[in-house]
Amino acid sequence: MLQSKTWIVVSLVLTCVIAAVALSQVYAVTKPVIDGQAADALKASLSEVLPGAADFVELEPGVVWSAKDAAGDRVGIVFKVTPRGYGGPITVVVGVDTTGRIAGLGVGSDMKETPGLGQKAREAWFRDQFRGKSETEVALKRDNGTLDAISAATITSRAVTNGVREGMADYIHYLTSK
Amino acid sequence: MSAPSRWKYFADGIIKENPVLILMIGLCPTLATSVSARDALGMAAAVTFVLVGSNVVVSLIRKVVPGSVRIPIFIIIISTFVTIIDYVLQAYQPALYRVLGVFVPLIVVNCIILGRAEAFAYGHGVFDSLLDALGKSAGYALVMLVMGSIREIFAAGTWFGVAVTPAWFRSAPVLFMIFPPGAFFLIGILKGIVNRLTAGKV
Repeated sequence: MLQSKTWIVVSLVLTCVIAAVALSQVYAVTKPVIDGQAADALKASLSEVLPGAADFVELEPGVVWSAKDAAGDRVGIVFKVTPRGYGGPITVVVGVDTTGRIAGLGVGSDMKETPGLGQKAREAWFRDQFRGKSETEVALKRDNGTLDAISAATITSRAVTNGVREGMADYIHYLTSK
Repeated sequence: MSAPSRWKYFADGIIKENPVLILMIGLCPTLATSVSARDALGMAAAVTFVLVGSNVVVSLIRKVVPGSVRIPIFIIIISTFVTIIDYVLQAYQPALYRVLGVFVPLIVVNCIILGRAEAFAYGHGVFDSLLDALGKSAGYALVMLVMGSIREIFAAGTWFGVAVTPAWFRSAPVLFMIFPPGAFFLIGILKGIVNRLTAGKV
């Protein structure tokens, strides 16, 4: 029976069907949980870069949010840019306070930069340099700016800084518009 | 079969039939993911899960799988396990998934898994296959931990993210070790040491 042509075909089809059913069941169970976590993670990543913000209103879908504190007062905006790094796009979330200065910077864990080099863009010392900077100050020291690059990862450092600066230029008007 | 010879199925995987240093399989993901001690251990944990799952299932169905199509069937089983692990980690262990995320899909192409399904689980019982999977996983984890530790200490001056070298070293570490050539360099040295230690015995 094991070597018959029919069983060869049937066993393959059966394996595929069982695998497909198992996967669709797991997918159906985990999908809502995964989506819920993505929403929570988005909210958390927005709050992280703008201390004091409790509520976010989307101004441009998935790109710019207006932030209010618990009392409902405007505390700034949060925007997301995805500059091209060394290994692909890097998700950078930037919080800007009402004075137009950077309140915090978050770098997404989904980037594909080199482990040990470009991945250091996620480390606090690199992100914290941006705090308190205005649009014109956001550039690497070698580009006549104020920020230290990550050693051996200039492409990543420049992508993040330039992305943040361009995002400031594009979205800062939302601070005053509404 | 007596207990001591069954124990051998587990123990062989650690040194005598170490998947990386003796069998020399699964080298690509080993070199790619052993950049730090934590990443290396995470990869080893994910490999352990898939290897145990695939060895047990392959061993269970081995008597009804036609020899001529066994490889495609093994591949389907392995990729199903990998995809399930991917979803489940993402849903219920998001913190772990953030560390492991990039490595999980890589497990499909880790030929340690297919190698053990083909070379062991297809011809042995469930319990023996489980022991074999655990032993090979332990051997894999050992090599990953050694490589990840050495590469992290040289290239970043840290171990599991904790600084273990003087500040002057961390300001100018041996970055070479984190690049692919560093991985080849290190695995060559490890293989040399193991050959020396096991000369004439394996």
